Amino acid sequence: MEFRTVGSIEEALACLADVGDEAQVVAGGTDVMIQHMRREINPSLFLYIGNLCEMEGLTKNGSHAIGALTTHRHLATDPLVVAAFPALAEAASTVGSWQTQEVGTLGGNLCNASPAADTVAPLLIADAQVELRRASGVRRLPLDEFLLGRRSTARLPDELLTAVTARPPGERCGETYLKLGRRSAMEVAIAGLAVRLTFDAVGNVESAKVAACAVAPRAYRAVEAESVLEGSRLEEGTVAEAGRALVDSATPIDDARASASYRRHVLPGLLVRAVATCRERAVEQR
Amino acid sequence: MSGSVGKSVPRLDAEPKVRGEAVYGVDFELTGTLYAALVLSPVPSGRIIGIDTSAAAAQAGVRAVVTAEDAPDLRSGLALDDEPLFASDTVHYEGEPIAAVVADSLKAARRAVSDVIVNIEESPPVASLEAALTEGAPLVHENWETFAPVPGLPEWPRQGNVVGEMTADPGGVDEAFAGADHIVEDVFVADRQYQAYLEPKSATAIYEEDRYTIHVSHQYPWNVRSRTARALGVNPSRIRVIGHHMGGGFGARLDVGLEPYAALLARLVRAPVKLVFDRSEDLLTCNSRENAIIRIRSGVMNDGRIVAREFLCDMDCGAYATDTVFLISIPIFLAGSVYEVPSTRVVARAVYTNTTPTGAFRGVSGTYLNFALERHTDNLANTIAMDRREFRIRNLMDDGHRMLNGQILTDAGIMRTAFAEVEAVAPWADMGKGPNRGVGMAATLWLTNPAPGQVTLKLDVDGTLGVITGASEIGTGAVAMGVRQIAADELGIDPRDVIVTMPDTDVQGHDGGAQGSRTTHIVGRAVREAGTGLREQVVRAGARLLGELPDDVEIGDGHVSVKGEWNRRVTLAEVATQALYDVGPLVASGSYATPTPKYDPDTAVGLLFPTFPTPTYHVHIAEVEVDPDTGLVTVLRYVVVQEVGKAITPEGVIGQIQGGVAQGIGYALYEGLQIGEDGRYRQRTLEAYRVPIALDVPRVEAVLLEHPDEEGPHGAKGAAEPPIVPVAAAIGNAIADATGGAINRIPITPEDVLDALAENRED
Repeated sequence: MEFRTVGSIEEALACLADVGDEAQVVAGGTDVMIQHMRREINPSLFLYIGNLCEMEGLTKNGSHAIGALTTHRHLATDPLVVAAFPALAEAASTVGSWQTQEVGTLGGNLCNASPAADTVAPLLIADAQVELRRASGVRRLPLDEFLLGRRSTARLPDELLTAVTARPPGERCGETYLKLGRRSAMEVAIAGLAVRLTFDAVGNVESAKVAACAVAPRAYRAVEAESVLEGSRLEEGTVAEAGRALVDSATPIDDARASASYRRHVLPGLLVRAVATCRERAVEQR
Repeated sequence: MSGSVGKSVPRLDAEPKVRGEAVYGVDFELTGTLYAALVLSPVPSGRIIGIDTSAAAAQAGVRAVVTAEDAPDLRSGLALDDEPLFASDTVHYEGEPIAAVVADSLKAARRAVSDVIVNIEESPPVASLEAALTEGAPLVHENWETFAPVPGLPEWPRQGNVVGEMTADPGGVDEAFAGADHIVEDVFVADRQYQAYLEPKSATAIYEEDRYTIHVSHQYPWNVRSRTARALGVNPSRIRVIGHHMGGGFGARLDVGLEPYAALLARLVRAPVKLVFDRSEDLLTCNSRENAIIRIRSGVMNDGRIVAREFLCDMDCGAYATDTVFLISIPIFLAGSVYEVPSTRVVARAVYTNTTPTGAFRGVSGTYLNFALERHTDNLANTIAMDRREFRIRNLMDDGHRMLNGQILTDAGIMRTAFAEVEAVAPWADMGKGPNRGVGMAATLWLTNPAPGQVTLKLDVDGTLGVITGASEIGTGAVAMGVRQIAADELGIDPRDVIVTMPDTDVQGHDGGAQGSRTTHIVGRAVREAGTGLREQVVRAGARLLGELPDDVEIGDGHVSVKGEWNRRVTLAEVATQALYDVGPLVASGSYATPTPKYDPDTAVGLLFPTFPTPTYHVHIAEVEVDPDTGLVTVLRYVVVQEVGKAITPEGVIGQIQGGVAQGIGYALYEGLQIGEDGRYRQRTLEAYRVPIALDVPRVEAVLLEHPDEEGPHGAKGAAEPPIVPVAAAIGNAIADATGGAINRIPITPEDVLDALAENRED
């Protein structure tokens, strides 16, 4: 097994073009190294990209682009990120511990494609796209299409996920991410919910975006719940109906952390809290 | 210097531990060390068809591959001699050692482990208590009748998968039930709890001059000595055990772990051998707190009196008896105490299953026994519509309470004071108010372990005091602070001028280990015994130096002075230096063991742990809030009133209370090792096995009730173990109060909370 460090994106892409099939890209290593220790993966090459500082941080150049090597701690604490993507910042602040947040990266979280990945749901409600580069070019893919299932993505062996672009909440808009775990921190989500609501001038929901994680093989947009909320004034009955739609859209499993029925049970309550927070934040913002 | 006992003092081992400089057992290395790793059974039950070690032995750097064929053909144990070092014909739990590999590096050893080919014909495991106790269940050990009690223990009732049964039936219980106004019956179930100490288990051994020296971080080096000797079939004096800093233990380091393997391997390869578990191995093989099922039935009168009780408890000892056979005696001390129950029958059983052997964990069995008793107490009060606190006060024991073993608790009335103290700090009527909130209370008594201890004190030429003791510092500060303070006060010196040895079984007298809160009480008392002898010598030597008679001088403030003449004095350093050449070094020893309390041996059959020495008294109250959407529980407030005899180091005792409550909250709400139908643990790493973190634990309010013990040093009793005991009960009662539903399982999961809320809505 070889551990190779690269000094530029070009070098990384050249390497992937060459031996992408056998390589495991690694940055923070908070998932990859554990999987390696558990013998779940056994690549012949670890390609370390953690030195590529051009892939770090938020840039506003027309659209908002976040470098794939931006750490969770950066996402959670950088005032620019907190202002532009509050739900993403909230989500990043709940990933693992401070120690793992300090090294774990956004790109790693997305490529690992855990059903419980915290950053996915808040990016889904921000219409995120991933930027995949290869030696011969670049393509952009909606995050929704990038994630194929549990531990499965559309990334090709010679591609490197370099950045994520997303749309910040606009006027009269509020968003949040709620994570449910047993402990108060250092948890893997039992269920996670990201909601972004945009209101019209008179307070009706103009647009609703709801994404759930840890209740299906991958995080997903709950479009049925969204359409129930859209056009409403978040009346109790409407939110409850959206909650039922959300439950219907979930396909959770039983595992050592929680049962499928518990995961379904908590979703409506989380939605009630999330929409209330969104409304508050939309009002504050105005 | 007015003495350090009763004051909080700086803890000298804190800085090296925080800085990472302290050498723990797992850090310790000898020159030329080889490394070993164990081949653990991948299945919970089966017949070993063959073991092929050739591929592993051929690996580069591998020195030896060892199986049962290379080990003495012996079985040994804490109570019953049922456990071999390596499985040979059959495996009885997932994780049972089958072979060991010794290699030049840990990496090579671990790699070679996967090259040892073990062919096992799997059989369906006996995975649960229910399965083990079913009529016609397969026997975990078909040869159970051939196992003998360890020398010195009498036989006890055992049969098939039931490895021990303790019965106390005073007669008249059924008649008492017949006269009750109401009979309430409950069933409680508790999962296992992993000790989850920071330092995984390890051992380093060397074999020289036909003796084994084992370097450990262990709670009980003298038990390592005797257990290793028995596992290897040699005399105890052939084993030397040297203790190093210990990264926690909580009972998991009381029986032997890796030590006999390291010793055997060191002899076989004629080189120092180090064995260390990774976290997953540690978790899967650890003698965790046993899972248990408790059935409790009580008769209660409309006026609030409890008149009859039946208490049935089954404890899962796993694949070997370990110490659970002793623990089945504990219910006899708790089932009829705290509250007066005139007529009580207790039957407790230890049961074999094809699972990892269980064992001691802080508050042994008391955590779930108290949960069952105190949850049931709430149910009794609710049945007759009496306030739960009033019901408790009404049934509370008093001075002279007779326990079911016939032992008399002369000071049991202190429990009433403890209830009053709780009321003063956290008035019952004010707690648990508001939607989704609840309050719960639990009380218990607990013991101080009576095992013997020994101390030698020596006054050094520079005036420092050496304490030579086999006591182990498990992390509580019992040695680092308590014993040191007690020793310092014997000569009126600063505790910083007291130097305490690490355990070495070749050097010190026997020590009963860091268990059952015994160290401050027992070793502290031995210090006082030794101190009496040393002070006499110091007074004589000092008087000689001052040209006075011994009766005319006194020790204080680091000096020997003439009574009434403060300015005529000599330092302890001068006294020790002069004495060296006049009478020889100033050294004195002391020993102590708790006298066995009087009891009635005829009250029970199978009572291997017959008395409850140096009891202490505890009342806890918890206020919680449950989240009706998620079932999550927040502990809003937690108050402990604990009778401690005398707090030698108040800050240390309060720290232990905070830690015990944190560990109890983990037990109550977050932890739980579950066993699947396949006999395997479902939680196999600390990612899946959740211990609480700081955010999950409130600031614990602690009130220390001082009530000096006649025997203890300065009146001290045990303090560190018991704060975990009533926590699950207090929190369970608070959650039941908040939800209005039944809470009958440990851990209490968010799903249980939601079920309890739903149950209440249906009512």
